[in-house]
Amino acid sequence: MSKTANRDWADDEDLDDTVAATTGLPPNTSTTNKDGTKTIITYSLNEDGKKVKTSRRIRFTVHKEVVNPRVAERKQWTKFGLSAKDGPGPAADTTSVGENIIFRPSTNWRKDAKEEKTEAGSMKDKLKDKKVKCRICNGEHFTARCPFKDTMAPVGEEGGAADVSTGGADAPEGPGGLGAVKGSYVPPHMRNGGGASAAGDRMGGGKFERDDLATLRVTNVSEMAEEQELRDMFERFGRVTRVFLAKDRETGMAKGFAFISYQERTDAAKACEKMDGYGFKHLILRVEFAKKAAS
Amino acid sequence: MRPILLQGHERALTQIRYSRDGDLLFSTAKDQHICAWYAHNGERLGTYHGHQGALWTVDPNPQTTLIASGAADNTVRLWNIQTGKCLKVWDFDTAVKRVEFNEDGSKLLAVTEQRMGFLGTIVVLDVNQDVDGEQNGEKVLTIQCDESKATVAGWSYLSKYIVAGHENGSVSQYDAKSGEQLDNVQVHDMDIASQVTDLQWSADRTYFITASKDKTAKLINAENLVVLKTYVADTPLNSAVITPRKEFVILGGGQAAMDVTTTSTRQGKFEARFYHKIFEEEIGRVRGHFGPLNTVAADPTGKGYASGGEDGYVRVHQFDKGYFDFSYEVERQAKQQQLQQ
Repeated sequence: MSKTANRDWADDEDLDDTVAATTGLPPNTSTTNKDGTKTIITYSLNEDGKKVKTSRRIRFTVHKEVVNPRVAERKQWTKFGLSAKDGPGPAADTTSVGENIIFRPSTNWRKDAKEEKTEAGSMKDKLKDKKVKCRICNGEHFTARCPFKDTMAPVGEEGGAADVSTGGADAPEGPGGLGAVKGSYVPPHMRNGGGASAAGDRMGGGKFERDDLATLRVTNVSEMAEEQELRDMFERFGRVTRVFLAKDRETGMAKGFAFISYQERTDAAKACEKMDGYGFKHLILRVEFAKKAAS
Repeated sequence: MRPILLQGHERALTQIRYSRDGDLLFSTAKDQHICAWYAHNGERLGTYHGHQGALWTVDPNPQTTLIASGAADNTVRLWNIQTGKCLKVWDFDTAVKRVEFNEDGSKLLAVTEQRMGFLGTIVVLDVNQDVDGEQNGEKVLTIQCDESKATVAGWSYLSKYIVAGHENGSVSQYDAKSGEQLDNVQVHDMDIASQVTDLQWSADRTYFITASKDKTAKLINAENLVVLKTYVADTPLNSAVITPRKEFVILGGGQAAMDVTTTSTRQGKFEARFYHKIFEEEIGRVRGHFGPLNTVAADPTGKGYASGGEDGYVRVHQFDKGYFDFSYEVERQAKQQQLQQ
């Protein structure tokens, strides 16, 4: 096996052939599968001296591009000046890739940008005074710590559970979210019909004029999800005007729910039907229409 | 889209130009070399050394064999793109703020600064397009700007006119052969500081866009200097470009460099602004720079654009699908009607 020839950085930690011979590791194998992918199995020893088998499936895709012959010729030019010593390909000290920018021209981009900001802001306000609530006895402790854990069934099984998982999501929709669930615990700031005292928290929640008719709420989204991936998935059904994926401010991980707004309600309906129950990153997506803000 | 960041300069960028095929990118900054880059992956092709002062401007010829550059060392230099060799040095009395090749690459104009008792001038030079050939040192034509110095200039279609933007916000049209001033129009506000900071052409060079410190950019007809469109921004503009393929313009600007450290990046408005060319309406912004945008350039193939900032970075963007899909309702309707007919 010509191991040294096609070494890549990932193999840097691998032991040399000589070491492999002495420790009796099986040789690395590389097989081509029927579907055109390649399976490469490598063996190594980890820090504890245990054998580790690594299998990698790799697909090679050849990307062909037709360019102007003059352009093709210029790509072969030798480098000069300060770059004379650089190898082929972009040099790390002069070229880097920036973070992804979502740029979608839109006639009302100003409004979109503002909305995203208030949504994130109101969410933070919302979570600030959110109390821990037990699903079993509605006490102010985690469900797992409940003294009645083994003796009582959770109160309002569906209502309560859904409430906890989507409580944050409902927040920007309007005051209806929590208050509407009958018989469940109403946090102090929502009592008295979520009156004047709460109005300040919601940063002009009443002024929301977003078209909820064509907005989908997607829940059970993987933590690893990216806004762009969701956009790509949902764009198949029509023009998506906005994707909002709730993310944790500190860790940057997704919180598990997202909103997708379409331009057309028919597209949204199609997407809702097709994407509900779709498997994405080991989780089954749940897609439904975002609840209309109850005023 | 994921921008490619190019860090070839230690100081503020002054100009970026794409080659005609959109594959190479040339950048100049206030340090003393020019960088050439491959636009598709940000690989640096090379650097051109020789200037002894801040570089203000660069322009590749249409054949992509030569580039010209102008600098604060009072010279214009001509370089072989492929090898980085300097082919010719033209000396002037003052700094050179702008150079531009005409449509066939046979002539080069240079805008010189007004300083030390010398008036601002626009000088035309003959360029031998043979890379190995001898270059003529003579100045073919010199236009003096008595009233207000020219800050930018360019060649119109068929090299018929030379159009210049002035420090007082006016735009003038000169006959490219005789150098006679044919017209002068005050397009930007005269009362406030309204220096014309950039002038870039449409693909056919029949109209151009100017950017000005008076926070507006204007689309102007080259034939009669009539203002066709006005784009209003909320910050002084340093650069403006017309995008091919889509009917947009990109404006770059931001607070003056000297005030930057006293304000946050969010306030600085260091964004590239996209306007619809026809409807004059802002349709989006692209963030990224830490300082004002000194220059923006559009890929002639329409696939992307690049911006250079006071922060010393060049950011090369490749547009994605949403950009090409965007159109106004009326545009979509018009297209459908066309299909039906």
